[in-house]
Amino acid sequence: MTKPSIPVGIICSQSGPYQAMGRELLKSALMAVDEINNEAEFDFSITPNIRDPRGIVSEYHTACDDLIRNIGVEHIVGCYTSASRKQVLPIVERTDRLLWHPARYEGFECSDNIIYVGAAPNHNVLPLVRYVLDNLSREIFCVGSNYVWSWETNRVTRELVAAAQGRILAERLLELGEGAVGHIVDEIVRRRPPVVFNTLVGSSSYEFIRAFHAATTSAGLNIPMVSCSLCEPELKIVGPASAGCITSSAYFESIRLPENRAFVARWKARYGDDSSPSVDGQSTYVAVYLLARALQRAGTTDIGDVRRAAAGHRYNSPQGPVWIDGANNHCVLTPRLAVSNAEGQFDIFWEADAPVKPDPYLTQLDVAVSPARETARDGAPNAPHLRVVK
Amino acid sequence: MSKPSSFSLRGRKALVAIKDERDASIVRRQFERLGIDFVAWEPGAAVDFRPDVTLIDDDFLPLTSPAQRAFLGQGPVIALLGTETPSRLKLVLELDPASFLVKPLRSAGIYAALVLAFERAERTGELKQQVVKLEERLRSRRVVLAAVLQVMHSHAVGEPAAFALIRRAAMEQRKTIEQISAEIASNGSLPRATG
Repeated sequence: MTKPSIPVGIICSQSGPYQAMGRELLKSALMAVDEINNEAEFDFSITPNIRDPRGIVSEYHTACDDLIRNIGVEHIVGCYTSASRKQVLPIVERTDRLLWHPARYEGFECSDNIIYVGAAPNHNVLPLVRYVLDNLSREIFCVGSNYVWSWETNRVTRELVAAAQGRILAERLLELGEGAVGHIVDEIVRRRPPVVFNTLVGSSSYEFIRAFHAATTSAGLNIPMVSCSLCEPELKIVGPASAGCITSSAYFESIRLPENRAFVARWKARYGDDSSPSVDGQSTYVAVYLLARALQRAGTTDIGDVRRAAAGHRYNSPQGPVWIDGANNHCVLTPRLAVSNAEGQFDIFWEADAPVKPDPYLTQLDVAVSPARETARDGAPNAPHLRVVK
Repeated sequence: MSKPSSFSLRGRKALVAIKDERDASIVRRQFERLGIDFVAWEPGAAVDFRPDVTLIDDDFLPLTSPAQRAFLGQGPVIALLGTETPSRLKLVLELDPASFLVKPLRSAGIYAALVLAFERAERTGELKQQVVKLEERLRSRRVVLAAVLQVMHSHAVGEPAAFALIRRAAMEQRKTIEQISAEIASNGSLPRATG
Protein backbone atom coordinates (compact mmCIF):
# COMPACT_ATOMS: atom_id res chain seq x y z
CA MET A 1 0.00 0.00 0.00
CA THR A 2 1.30 3.44 -0.88
CA LYS A 3 1.84 5.73 2.07
CA PRO A 4 0.07 9.08 2.06
CA SER A 5 2.39 11.90 1.01
CA ILE A 6 3.03 15.15 2.87
CA PRO A 7 4.39 18.06 0.82
CA VAL A 8 7.29 19.87 2.48
CA GLY A 9 8.98 23.00 1.14
CA ILE A 10 12.75 23.16 0.92
CA ILE A 11 14.35 26.56 0.32
CA CYS A 12 18.12 26.46 -0.33
CA SER A 13 20.20 28.69 -2.59
CA GLN A 14 22.12 26.67 -5.17
CA SER A 15 24.02 29.69 -6.53
CA GLY A 16 25.23 33.04 -5.19
CA PRO A 17 27.81 33.92 -2.51
CA TYR A 18 26.96 31.05 -0.13
CA GLN A 19 26.05 28.46 -2.77
CA ALA A 20 28.46 25.91 -1.28
CA MET A 21 26.51 25.87 1.97
CA GLY A 22 23.15 25.96 0.18
CA ARG A 23 24.10 22.82 -1.72
CA GLU A 24 25.11 21.10 1.51
CA LEU A 25 21.72 21.97 2.99
CA LEU A 26 19.88 20.52 0.01
CA LYS A 27 21.98 17.35 -0.13
CA SER A 28 21.34 16.72 3.56
CA ALA A 29 17.62 17.45 3.33
CA LEU A 30 17.18 15.06 0.40
CA MET A 31 19.18 12.34 2.14
CA ALA A 32 16.91 12.60 5.19
CA VAL A 33 13.77 12.63 3.02
CA ASP A 34 14.87 9.46 1.16
CA GLU A 35 15.67 7.66 4.40
CA ILE A 36 12.38 8.65 6.00
CA ASN A 37 10.42 7.59 2.93
CA ASN A 38 12.02 4.14 3.14
CA GLU A 39 11.60 3.63 6.88
CA ALA A 40 8.69 1.60 8.19
CA GLU A 41 8.66 3.78 11.32
CA PHE A 42 6.86 6.49 9.37
CA ASP A 43 3.34 5.90 8.06
CA PHE A 44 3.65 8.71 5.53
CA SER A 45 6.16 9.84 2.95
CA ILE A 46 7.54 13.33 2.40
CA THR A 47 7.38 15.00 -1.01
CA PRO A 48 10.09 17.64 -1.19
CA ASN A 49 9.24 20.81 -3.09
CA ILE A 50 12.55 22.51 -3.74
CA ARG A 51 12.97 26.22 -4.39
CA ASP A 52 16.27 27.93 -5.25
CA PRO A 53 16.38 31.66 -4.37
CA ARG A 54 19.93 31.88 -5.85
CA GLY A 55 21.22 33.79 -2.85
CA ILE A 56 18.97 36.77 -3.68
CA VAL A 57 17.29 37.94 -0.49
CA SER A 58 14.01 39.06 -2.08
CA GLU A 59 13.69 35.70 -3.87
CA TYR A 60 13.17 33.97 -0.50
CA HIS A 61 9.95 35.89 -0.05
CA THR A 62 8.78 34.81 -3.51
CA ALA A 63 9.81 31.18 -2.97
CA CYS A 64 8.04 30.95 0.38
CA ASP A 65 4.91 32.61 -0.95
CA ASP A 66 4.85 30.22 -3.92
CA LEU A 67 5.28 27.14 -1.72
CA ILE A 68 2.42 28.15 0.55
CA ARG A 69 0.06 29.57 -2.06
CA ASN A 70 0.57 27.13 -4.93
CA ILE A 71 1.75 23.90 -3.28
CA GLY A 72 -0.05 24.34 0.02
CA VAL A 73 2.87 23.29 2.24
CA GLU A 74 2.52 23.72 5.99
CA HIS A 75 6.16 22.99 6.77
CA ILE A 76 9.24 24.49 5.16
CA VAL A 77 12.86 23.49 5.80
CA GLY A 78 15.62 25.89 4.84
CA CYS A 79 17.09 29.40 4.80
CA TYR A 80 20.76 29.78 5.62
CA THR A 81 21.38 33.46 6.34
CA SER A 82 19.44 35.55 8.83
CA ALA A 83 18.54 38.01 6.07
CA SER A 84 16.77 35.20 4.21
CA ARG A 85 15.02 33.96 7.36
CA LYS A 86 13.74 37.48 8.06
CA GLN A 87 12.19 37.50 4.57
CA VAL A 88 10.33 34.28 5.22
CA LEU A 89 9.35 35.02 8.84
CA PRO A 90 6.45 37.44 8.21
CA ILE A 91 4.89 35.08 5.67
CA VAL A 92 4.99 32.00 7.90
CA GLU A 93 3.63 34.05 10.79
CA ARG A 94 0.83 35.56 8.72
CA THR A 95 -0.19 32.22 7.19
CA ASP A 96 0.58 30.21 10.35
CA ARG A 97 3.11 27.85 8.78
CA LEU A 98 6.24 26.40 10.36
CA LEU A 99 9.79 27.09 9.15
CA TRP A 100 12.42 24.56 10.28
CA HIS A 101 15.59 26.65 10.22
CA PRO A 102 18.78 24.55 10.27
CA ALA A 103 21.61 27.09 10.41
CA ARG A 104 23.20 28.45 13.56
CA TYR A 105 22.49 32.13 13.94
CA GLU A 106 23.14 35.13 16.16
CA GLY A 107 20.02 34.80 18.34
CA PHE A 108 17.63 37.53 19.56
CA GLU A 109 14.64 36.09 17.76
CA CYS A 110 11.94 33.71 18.89
CA SER A 111 8.99 33.21 16.58
CA ASP A 112 6.27 30.65 17.28
CA ASN A 113 6.38 29.86 13.57
CA ILE A 114 10.05 28.93 13.44
CA ILE A 115 11.85 25.92 14.89
CA TYR A 116 15.49 26.92 15.34
CA VAL A 117 17.44 23.68 14.90
CA GLY A 118 20.92 25.23 14.66
CA ALA A 119 23.05 26.50 17.51
CA ALA A 120 22.06 29.59 19.51
CA PRO A 121 24.79 32.11 20.46
CA ASN A 122 25.32 30.50 23.87
CA HIS A 123 26.16 27.25 22.04
CA ASN A 124 28.83 28.54 19.68
CA VAL A 125 30.07 32.09 20.35
CA LEU A 126 30.30 31.87 24.14
CA PRO A 127 32.41 28.68 24.43
CA LEU A 128 34.77 29.93 21.73
CA VAL A 129 35.35 33.39 23.21
CA ARG A 130 35.69 31.93 26.72
CA TYR A 131 38.30 29.55 25.37
CA VAL A 132 40.22 32.37 23.67
CA LEU A 133 40.16 34.50 26.82
CA ASP A 134 41.24 31.64 29.06
CA ASN A 135 43.87 30.10 26.81
CA LEU A 136 45.05 32.44 24.05
CA SER A 137 44.71 36.15 24.68
CA ARG A 138 42.57 38.96 25.98
CA GLU A 139 43.32 40.97 22.86
CA ILE A 140 41.42 39.94 19.74
CA PHE A 141 41.51 41.15 16.13
CA CYS A 142 38.05 40.67 14.56
CA VAL A 143 37.40 40.33 10.84
CA GLY A 144 33.92 39.60 9.53
CA SER A 145 31.29 40.16 6.87
CA ASN A 146 29.27 43.36 6.99
CA TYR A 147 26.26 41.44 8.11
CA VAL A 148 24.12 40.82 11.21
CA TRP A 149 25.92 37.57 12.09
CA SER A 150 29.30 39.29 12.36
CA TRP A 151 27.93 42.43 14.01
CA GLU A 152 26.22 40.51 16.80
CA THR A 153 29.02 37.97 17.24
CA ASN A 154 31.46 40.87 17.55
CA ARG A 155 29.20 42.64 20.06
CA VAL A 156 29.04 39.59 22.32
CA THR A 157 32.80 39.14 21.93
CA ARG A 158 33.37 42.78 22.84
CA GLU A 159 31.27 42.45 26.02
CA LEU A 160 33.10 39.32 27.16
CA VAL A 161 36.51 40.78 26.31
CA ALA A 162 35.73 44.05 28.12
CA ALA A 163 34.58 42.15 31.23
CA ALA A 164 37.92 40.29 31.19
CA GLN A 165 39.79 43.65 30.98
CA GLY A 166 40.88 42.79 27.46
CA ARG A 167 40.38 44.73 24.27
CA ILE A 168 39.25 44.37 20.68
CA LEU A 169 42.26 45.42 18.62
CA ALA A 170 40.24 45.96 15.45
CA GLU A 171 36.90 45.16 13.91
CA ARG A 172 37.27 44.96 10.14
CA LEU A 173 34.23 44.23 7.97
CA LEU A 174 33.93 43.24 4.31
CA GLU A 175 30.81 43.25 2.14
CA LEU A 176 29.32 39.78 1.52
CA GLY A 177 31.12 38.17 -1.40
CA GLU A 178 34.00 40.70 -1.30
CA GLY A 179 37.27 39.04 -2.31
CA ALA A 180 39.73 41.93 -1.80
CA VAL A 181 41.16 40.97 1.57
CA GLY A 182 44.78 42.09 1.11
CA HIS A 183 44.53 45.30 3.14
CA ILE A 184 43.25 43.44 6.19
CA VAL A 185 45.89 40.72 5.93
CA ASP A 186 48.57 43.44 5.57
CA GLU A 187 47.29 45.13 8.72
CA ILE A 188 47.37 41.82 10.62
CA VAL A 189 50.96 41.14 9.56
CA ARG A 190 51.93 44.69 10.54
CA ARG A 191 50.17 44.69 13.92
CA ARG A 192 50.75 41.03 14.85
CA PRO A 193 47.64 40.50 17.01
CA PRO A 194 47.75 37.51 19.39
CA VAL A 195 44.58 36.02 17.83
CA VAL A 196 42.28 36.63 14.87
CA PHE A 197 38.53 35.95 15.12
CA ASN A 198 37.14 35.24 11.63
CA THR A 199 33.38 35.72 11.21
CA LEU A 200 33.53 36.14 7.44
CA VAL A 201 30.92 34.22 5.45
CA GLY A 202 31.36 32.21 2.24
CA SER A 203 33.85 33.16 -0.47
CA SER A 204 35.25 36.16 1.46
CA SER A 205 36.23 33.78 4.25
CA TYR A 206 37.96 31.35 1.87
CA GLU A 207 39.97 34.17 0.24
CA PHE A 208 40.87 35.59 3.62
CA ILE A 209 42.04 32.27 5.10
CA ARG A 210 44.30 31.60 2.09
CA ALA A 211 45.78 35.11 2.10
CA PHE A 212 46.17 35.11 5.89
CA HIS A 213 47.97 31.78 5.81
CA ALA A 214 50.30 32.83 3.00
CA ALA A 215 51.16 36.21 4.53
CA THR A 216 51.68 35.00 8.10
CA THR A 217 53.74 32.03 6.91
CA SER A 218 56.05 34.20 4.80
CA ALA A 219 56.39 36.67 7.68
CA GLY A 220 57.26 33.83 10.05
CA LEU A 221 54.24 34.56 12.24
CA ASN A 222 52.13 32.04 14.11
CA ILE A 223 48.84 33.81 14.79
CA PRO A 224 45.94 31.53 15.78
CA MET A 225 42.67 31.99 13.91
CA VAL A 226 39.34 31.13 15.51
CA SER A 227 35.90 30.71 13.93
CA CYS A 228 32.41 29.66 14.86
CA SER A 229 31.25 28.82 11.36
CA LEU A 230 33.98 26.92 9.53
CA CYS A 231 33.03 23.37 8.44
CA GLU A 232 34.57 20.38 6.62
CA PRO A 233 33.37 21.16 3.06
CA GLU A 234 34.85 24.65 3.49
CA LEU A 235 38.19 23.20 4.62
CA LYS A 236 38.25 21.33 1.30
CA ILE A 237 37.39 24.48 -0.68
CA VAL A 238 40.09 26.51 1.07
CA GLY A 239 42.74 23.78 0.82
CA PRO A 240 45.84 23.27 3.01
CA ALA A 241 45.72 26.88 4.30
CA SER A 242 42.66 25.97 6.37
CA ALA A 243 44.58 23.81 8.84
CA GLY A 244 44.96 25.01 12.43
CA CYS A 245 41.74 27.00 12.79
CA ILE A 246 40.11 26.65 16.22
CA THR A 247 36.40 26.22 15.57
CA SER A 248 33.27 26.11 17.69
CA SER A 249 30.41 23.96 16.45
CA ALA A 250 27.75 21.48 17.53
CA TYR A 251 28.76 19.09 14.77
CA PHE A 252 32.00 17.77 13.33
CA GLU A 253 32.36 14.80 11.02
CA SER A 254 34.86 13.37 13.50
CA ILE A 255 32.34 12.94 16.35
CA ARG A 256 32.82 9.40 17.65
CA LEU A 257 29.21 8.44 18.21
CA PRO A 258 27.74 5.32 16.56
CA GLU A 259 24.91 7.46 15.15
CA ASN A 260 27.46 9.72 13.51
CA ARG A 261 29.64 6.89 12.21
CA ALA A 262 26.57 5.40 10.52
CA PHE A 263 25.47 8.80 9.22
CA VAL A 264 28.90 9.55 7.72
CA ALA A 265 29.00 6.09 6.11
CA ARG A 266 25.56 6.64 4.53
CA TRP A 267 26.65 10.14 3.44
CA LYS A 268 29.81 8.87 1.74
CA ALA A 269 27.93 6.00 0.09
CA ARG A 270 25.53 8.57 -1.36
CA TYR A 271 27.79 11.50 -2.19
CA GLY A 272 31.25 9.93 -2.56
CA ASP A 273 34.16 9.01 -0.32
CA ASP A 274 35.83 12.39 -0.63
CA SER A 275 32.62 14.21 0.36
CA SER A 276 31.99 15.41 3.93
CA PRO A 277 28.84 16.43 5.73
CA SER A 278 28.85 19.92 7.25
CA VAL A 279 27.43 21.31 10.48
CA ASP A 280 24.58 23.14 8.76
CA GLY A 281 24.00 20.18 6.42
CA GLN A 282 23.83 17.77 9.32
CA SER A 283 21.52 20.23 11.06
CA THR A 284 19.24 20.22 8.00
CA TYR A 285 19.19 16.41 8.18
CA VAL A 286 18.29 16.70 11.88
CA ALA A 287 15.60 19.29 11.07
CA VAL A 288 13.91 16.97 8.56
CA TYR A 289 14.03 14.10 11.06
CA LEU A 290 12.68 16.25 13.90
CA LEU A 291 9.86 17.33 11.57
CA ALA A 292 9.10 13.76 10.45
CA ARG A 293 9.10 12.41 14.00
CA ALA A 294 6.85 15.25 15.16
CA LEU A 295 4.49 14.63 12.22
CA GLN A 296 4.39 10.93 13.16
CA ARG A 297 3.73 11.64 16.84
CA ALA A 298 1.14 14.34 16.13
CA GLY A 299 -0.68 12.28 13.50
CA THR A 300 -1.47 15.52 11.68
CA THR A 301 0.32 18.30 9.80
CA ASP A 302 -1.36 20.99 11.93
CA ILE A 303 1.48 23.20 13.01
CA GLY A 304 0.30 23.69 16.59
CA ASP A 305 0.08 19.93 17.13
CA VAL A 306 3.39 19.30 15.35
CA ARG A 307 5.14 21.98 17.42
CA ARG A 308 3.83 20.45 20.64
CA ALA A 309 4.85 16.97 19.48
CA ALA A 310 8.36 18.20 18.68
CA ALA A 311 8.93 19.90 22.05
CA GLY A 312 11.04 17.84 24.43
CA HIS A 313 11.16 14.82 22.12
CA ARG A 314 14.70 13.47 22.24
CA TYR A 315 16.33 12.34 19.01
CA ASN A 316 19.70 10.58 18.99
CA SER A 317 21.03 12.42 15.97
CA PRO A 318 24.52 12.22 14.38
CA GLN A 319 25.62 15.14 16.61
CA GLY A 320 24.28 13.38 19.69
CA PRO A 321 20.99 13.75 21.56
CA VAL A 322 18.99 16.83 20.57
CA TRP A 323 15.52 18.06 21.38
CA ILE A 324 13.45 21.21 20.98
CA ASP A 325 13.04 23.41 24.04
CA GLY A 326 9.30 24.13 24.02
CA ALA A 327 9.85 27.42 25.87
CA ASN A 328 11.67 29.05 22.96
CA ASN A 329 11.52 26.67 19.94
CA HIS A 330 15.31 26.41 19.86
CA CYS A 331 17.33 23.20 19.98
CA VAL A 332 19.04 21.73 23.04
CA LEU A 333 22.42 20.50 21.79
CA THR A 334 26.05 19.86 22.68
CA PRO A 335 28.69 22.59 22.03
CA ARG A 336 32.14 21.47 20.92
CA LEU A 337 35.52 23.01 20.12
CA ALA A 338 37.96 21.55 17.62
CA VAL A 339 40.98 22.45 15.55
CA SER A 340 41.13 21.87 11.81
CA ASN A 341 43.87 19.53 10.58
CA ALA A 342 45.78 19.03 7.32
CA GLU A 343 43.40 16.24 6.23
CA GLY A 344 40.42 18.59 6.03
CA GLN A 345 38.93 17.30 9.27
CA PHE A 346 38.55 18.64 12.81
CA ASP A 347 40.24 17.25 15.92
CA ILE A 348 37.74 17.76 18.73
CA PHE A 349 39.42 18.80 21.98
CA TRP A 350 36.54 20.07 24.10
CA GLU A 351 32.84 19.34 24.48
CA ALA A 352 30.07 19.95 27.00
CA ASP A 353 29.37 16.84 29.04
CA ALA A 354 25.62 17.22 28.53
CA PRO A 355 23.38 18.92 25.98
CA VAL A 356 23.00 22.64 26.74
CA LYS A 357 19.72 24.56 26.84
CA PRO A 358 19.42 27.24 24.16
CA ASP A 359 19.57 30.84 25.39
CA PRO A 360 18.69 32.90 22.27
CA TYR A 361 18.53 36.21 24.16
CA LEU A 362 21.65 35.42 26.23
CA THR A 363 19.46 35.97 29.27
CA GLN A 364 21.69 33.76 31.40
CA LEU A 365 24.90 35.36 30.22
CA ASP A 366 27.00 36.81 33.01
CA VAL A 367 29.96 38.41 31.28
CA ALA A 368 31.99 38.47 34.47
CA VAL A 369 31.76 34.71 34.94
CA SER A 370 34.50 32.61 33.42
CA PRO A 371 34.63 30.21 31.74
CA ALA A 372 31.23 29.28 30.28
CA ARG A 373 29.52 28.84 33.61
CA GLU A 374 26.26 30.65 33.05
CA THR A 375 23.57 28.99 35.09
CA ALA A 376 19.83 29.16 34.89
CA ARG A 377 18.03 30.77 37.80
CA ASP A 378 16.46 27.47 38.74
CA GLY A 379 19.86 25.80 38.72
CA ALA A 380 19.02 23.82 35.60
CA PRO A 381 22.08 22.48 33.80
CA ASN A 382 22.38 25.36 31.39
CA ALA A 383 26.09 25.66 32.02
CA PRO A 384 28.27 23.31 30.07
CA HIS A 385 30.77 21.50 32.24
CA LEU A 386 33.45 21.24 29.66
CA ARG A 387 35.69 18.26 29.37
CA VAL A 388 38.57 17.33 27.17
CA VAL A 389 37.81 14.92 24.34
CA LYS A 390 40.62 12.64 23.23
CA MET B 1 27.74 49.12 41.49
CA SER B 2 27.66 49.53 37.73
CA LYS B 3 24.30 50.27 36.15
CA PRO B 4 22.60 47.32 34.46
CA SER B 5 22.98 47.11 30.70
CA SER B 6 19.82 48.00 28.79
CA PHE B 7 20.40 44.81 26.77
CA SER B 8 20.29 42.54 29.79
CA LEU B 9 16.75 42.29 31.10
CA ARG B 10 16.98 39.38 33.51
CA GLY B 11 15.48 40.09 36.93
CA ARG B 12 13.56 43.23 35.93
CA LYS B 13 9.97 43.57 37.06
CA ALA B 14 7.21 44.65 34.69
CA LEU B 15 3.67 45.79 35.41
CA VAL B 16 1.51 44.60 32.54
CA ALA B 17 -1.96 45.91 31.74
CA ILE B 18 -3.23 44.04 28.70
CA LYS B 19 -6.86 43.35 27.84
CA ASP B 20 -6.54 40.64 25.23
CA GLU B 21 -5.59 37.23 26.61
CA ARG B 22 -3.73 36.24 23.44
CA ASP B 23 -1.59 39.39 23.57
CA ALA B 24 -1.00 38.82 27.30
CA SER B 25 0.11 35.22 26.72
CA ILE B 26 2.58 36.34 24.03
CA VAL B 27 4.08 38.91 26.41
CA ARG B 28 4.17 36.38 29.26
CA ARG B 29 6.02 33.82 27.11
CA GLN B 30 8.50 36.36 25.82
CA PHE B 31 9.12 37.65 29.37
CA GLU B 32 9.85 34.10 30.54
CA ARG B 33 12.44 33.79 27.77
CA LEU B 34 14.00 37.11 28.79
CA GLY B 35 13.91 36.45 32.55
CA ILE B 36 11.51 39.35 33.30
CA ASP B 37 8.94 39.12 36.12
CA PHE B 38 5.41 39.63 34.79
CA VAL B 39 2.91 41.25 37.16
CA ALA B 40 -0.59 41.63 35.73
CA TRP B 41 -2.41 44.87 36.54
CA GLU B 42 -6.14 45.34 36.77
CA PRO B 43 -7.61 48.83 36.61
CA GLY B 44 -8.15 50.11 40.13
CA ALA B 45 -6.04 47.41 41.76
CA ALA B 46 -3.35 48.55 44.19
CA VAL B 47 0.28 48.02 43.23
CA ASP B 48 2.69 47.52 46.11
CA PHE B 49 5.96 47.66 44.16
CA ARG B 50 7.72 50.03 41.83
CA PRO B 51 7.86 48.42 38.39
CA ASP B 52 10.98 48.77 36.24
CA VAL B 53 8.72 49.12 33.21
CA THR B 54 4.98 49.29 32.54
CA LEU B 55 3.22 47.86 29.50
CA ILE B 56 -0.14 49.50 29.03
CA ASP B 57 -2.81 48.54 26.54
CA ASP B 58 -4.30 51.68 24.97
CA ASP B 59 -7.76 50.15 25.38
CA PHE B 60 -7.44 50.69 29.13
CA LEU B 61 -6.71 54.39 28.84
CA PRO B 62 -10.16 55.92 28.14
CA LEU B 63 -11.46 54.38 31.37
CA THR B 64 -8.58 55.37 33.61
CA SER B 65 -8.62 58.55 35.67
CA PRO B 66 -5.86 61.18 35.26
CA ALA B 67 -4.56 60.06 38.68
CA GLN B 68 -4.34 56.46 37.51
CA ARG B 69 -2.60 57.54 34.33
CA ALA B 70 -0.14 59.58 36.38
CA PHE B 71 0.48 56.51 38.54
CA LEU B 72 1.05 54.26 35.52
CA GLY B 73 3.36 56.80 33.95
CA GLN B 74 5.84 56.90 36.86
CA GLY B 75 8.38 54.55 35.30
CA PRO B 76 9.20 53.90 31.65
CA VAL B 77 6.04 53.07 29.74
CA ILE B 78 5.56 50.91 26.66
CA ALA B 79 2.26 51.71 25.00
CA LEU B 80 0.38 48.93 23.19
CA LEU B 81 -1.42 50.59 20.31
CA GLY B 82 -4.56 49.19 18.73
CA THR B 83 -5.45 52.35 16.85
CA GLU B 84 -3.53 55.31 15.55
CA THR B 85 -6.36 57.80 15.90
CA PRO B 86 -5.22 61.14 17.33
CA SER B 87 -7.77 60.94 20.17
CA ARG B 88 -6.20 57.70 21.39
CA LEU B 89 -2.64 58.90 20.81
CA LYS B 90 -3.46 61.99 22.91
CA LEU B 91 -4.22 59.75 25.89
CA VAL B 92 -1.12 57.66 25.23
CA LEU B 93 1.03 60.81 25.15
CA GLU B 94 -0.11 61.70 28.67
CA LEU B 95 1.94 58.70 29.82
CA ASP B 96 5.00 60.01 27.94
CA PRO B 97 5.71 56.53 26.53
CA ALA B 98 9.33 55.52 26.12
CA SER B 99 8.44 52.99 23.44
CA PHE B 100 5.45 51.30 21.81
CA LEU B 101 4.19 48.07 20.27
CA VAL B 102 1.40 47.61 17.73
CA LYS B 103 -1.38 45.12 18.47
CA PRO B 104 -1.94 42.28 17.75
CA LEU B 105 1.37 41.48 19.37
CA ARG B 106 4.04 39.10 18.07
CA SER B 107 7.07 37.92 19.97
CA ALA B 108 9.22 39.94 17.54
CA GLY B 109 9.54 43.53 18.68
CA ILE B 110 9.00 43.04 22.40
CA TYR B 111 12.71 42.78 23.23
CA ALA B 112 13.51 45.87 21.13
CA ALA B 113 10.66 47.85 22.73
CA LEU B 114 11.97 46.95 26.21
CA VAL B 115 15.58 47.85 25.39
CA LEU B 116 14.49 51.17 23.86
CA ALA B 117 12.29 51.92 26.88
CA PHE B 118 15.05 51.24 29.42
CA GLU B 119 17.60 53.18 27.42
CA ARG B 120 15.20 56.08 26.88
CA ALA B 121 14.37 56.18 30.61
CA GLU B 122 18.07 56.11 31.47
CA ARG B 123 18.91 58.95 29.10
CA THR B 124 15.88 61.00 30.12
CA GLY B 125 16.89 60.57 33.77
CA GLU B 126 20.39 61.82 32.99
CA LEU B 127 18.99 64.78 31.07
CA LYS B 128 16.65 65.69 33.94
CA GLN B 129 19.56 65.65 36.39
CA GLN B 130 21.54 67.85 34.06
CA VAL B 131 18.63 70.29 33.73
CA VAL B 132 18.35 70.57 37.54
CA LYS B 133 22.07 71.31 37.77
CA LEU B 134 21.92 73.90 35.00
CA GLU B 135 18.89 75.60 36.55
CA GLU B 136 20.71 75.80 39.85
CA ARG B 137 23.72 77.36 38.16
CA LEU B 138 21.52 79.76 36.24
CA ARG B 139 19.87 80.92 39.46
CA SER B 140 23.24 81.57 41.09
CA ARG B 141 24.58 83.56 38.12
CA ARG B 142 23.16 86.70 39.74
CA VAL B 143 25.20 86.04 42.92
CA VAL B 144 28.37 85.40 40.87
CA LEU B 145 27.85 88.71 39.06
CA ALA B 146 27.41 90.54 42.37
CA ALA B 147 30.61 88.96 43.75
CA VAL B 148 32.60 89.85 40.60
CA LEU B 149 31.45 93.50 40.85
CA GLN B 150 32.37 93.55 44.54
CA VAL B 151 35.89 92.20 43.93
CA MET B 152 36.38 94.55 40.94
CA HIS B 153 35.55 97.42 43.27
CA SER B 154 37.54 96.26 46.33
CA HIS B 155 40.65 95.17 44.41
CA ALA B 156 40.47 97.77 41.65
CA VAL B 157 40.77 95.12 38.93
CA GLY B 158 38.92 94.34 35.74
CA GLU B 159 36.25 91.67 35.33
CA PRO B 160 38.56 88.85 34.10
CA ALA B 161 40.99 89.36 36.99
CA ALA B 162 38.14 89.57 39.53
CA PHE B 163 36.68 86.32 38.25
CA ALA B 164 40.12 84.67 38.37
CA LEU B 165 40.50 85.70 42.03
CA ILE B 166 37.11 84.25 42.87
CA ARG B 167 37.86 81.03 41.03
CA ARG B 168 41.18 80.66 42.84
CA ALA B 169 39.51 81.23 46.20
CA ALA B 170 36.86 78.62 45.30
CA MET B 171 39.57 76.11 44.39
CA GLU B 172 41.55 76.79 47.58
CA GLN B 173 38.48 76.27 49.73
CA ARG B 174 37.19 73.35 47.65
CA LYS B 175 33.88 75.06 47.02
CA THR B 176 31.96 75.86 43.89
CA ILE B 177 32.23 79.31 42.35
CA GLU B 178 28.57 79.82 43.18
CA GLN B 179 29.11 78.98 46.88
CA ILE B 180 32.15 81.24 47.26
CA SER B 181 30.35 84.03 45.39
CA ALA B 182 27.46 83.83 47.87
CA GLU B 183 29.97 84.23 50.73
CA ILE B 184 31.66 87.18 49.04
CA ALA B 185 28.33 88.85 48.40
CA SER B 186 27.28 88.49 52.03
CA ASN B 187 30.72 89.23 53.65
CA GLY B 188 31.63 92.05 51.32
CA SER B 189 35.16 90.73 50.65
CA LEU B 190 37.21 87.83 49.31
CA PRO B 191 38.06 85.19 51.90
CA ARG B 192 41.60 85.39 53.19
CA ALA B 193 44.00 83.28 51.17
CA THR B 194 44.98 80.07 52.96
CA GLY B 195 48.26 79.43 51.30
